[in-house]
Amino acid sequence: MQRDFYLVTRDLHLYAGLFISPFVVLFALSVFVLVHPAGFLPSVSAPQAARSVRNLEIPARLENLSGRPRVEAVRSLLDQAGVNGEIGYIRYTPKEHRLSIPVNIPGRETTLDLDLNSRNATIVVRETGVWDALVQLHKSPGPHLAEIRMNWIAMRLWRWLADATVYLLLFISASGIYLWTVLRSERRAGIAILIAGAVSFCGMVYALVAG
Amino acid sequence: MPWSPVNTFEFWNRRLHYYIGLYLLFFVWLFALTGLLLNHPAWKFAEFWPTRRQAAFERQIARPPAAPDLTQAKNILAQLGLTGEIEWTSARADARRLDFRASRPGHIFEIKTDFDRERATVERIDLNTWGVMHILHTFTGVRAGDSRNQRDWMLTSMWVWSMDAVAIGLMTMVFGSYYMWWRLRRERAWGLVALISGWMACWLFVVGLRLLE
Repeated sequence: MQRDFYLVTRDLHLYAGLFISPFVVLFALSVFVLVHPAGFLPSVSAPQAARSVRNLEIPARLENLSGRPRVEAVRSLLDQAGVNGEIGYIRYTPKEHRLSIPVNIPGRETTLDLDLNSRNATIVVRETGVWDALVQLHKSPGPHLAEIRMNWIAMRLWRWLADATVYLLLFISASGIYLWTVLRSERRAGIAILIAGAVSFCGMVYALVAG
Repeated sequence: MPWSPVNTFEFWNRRLHYYIGLYLLFFVWLFALTGLLLNHPAWKFAEFWPTRRQAAFERQIARPPAAPDLTQAKNILAQLGLTGEIEWTSARADARRLDFRASRPGHIFEIKTDFDRERATVERIDLNTWGVMHILHTFTGVRAGDSRNQRDWMLTSMWVWSMDAVAIGLMTMVFGSYYMWWRLRRERAWGLVALISGWMACWLFVVGLRLLE
């Protein structure tokens, strides 16, 4: 019984670990860009030539909408303009009667500027590169603009995967502890290292918060 | 087991996997759990901003000697008995005033000084444990595209080195585990399925969505 439990835990540790390993690498690599932004030169390309789309069908009372309903209304405009991605925020300039809508796909930013009077839109695309894609994924969905975030199906899937990465990482660490405790020969050194890690962690957090 | 470079590598690769995992356990749990909290701002139990405590006070200060803004800000912090990462919240328009923020996980100090009156007004914000945890996840002292704010507190730098160490440690564990798995012949096929699924899913988000558009 105990052996079965050990074998099942070992296999689950292995397969879950292999599945989430690329996500762990993704989050780990993006840490370097996030904490040392000066060391990573932005690889933002020059914007591609702007293209225009004419005679868009503007959803009723678009300028009066806010939050999620506005995002959903804008989505129909993006579909007409052939633009895909996560809508970041929507800026409305009442004086000019214009909407500016940045739309992101990891590594690419598209900005759609819409003149509500003429119903014409200008679309500008910029490639922001792989590092930016990693950072964007690391920070998604994140705590900001929660009401409108994850408005694109791919990013909703990403949110699910990001959560799954955390849950699997917690499982892997817990199962890893179990697998380590079974190895008698590694116990003494392991306990010493575990204590050293706990002391480093607690000491650092204490110094930051209260020191 | 006879000595050979392969055996030595396997011996240390396996031990590094345990040892790094055990050493980084609490760091990994912190970053994993706070990542989850950051991605779920609607979780009420982890709210920290509405429950913040605020207090304001005014203190006499001595005018700091003429020096760069950062040096003057550090001088004022020392006079106030505060420590933290200094953040510039606005451009300095008046040499007789210096306004800045000093923050550390759980505590934020908004400081406004008037050198002529030799007074400093401090607005202090204290956050609960959830707030401390949230901020630990993102406490780097720098932001992309913001060249004015640089890391200026030693503890911020040490925390950032911890983040680097966690990232390097996790990648070492990942790549070391690939070798250990590959040596288990019976687990190769299903392991390959799990690994390729993971890499394909990652590739899809990092590169594929752009290519497929």
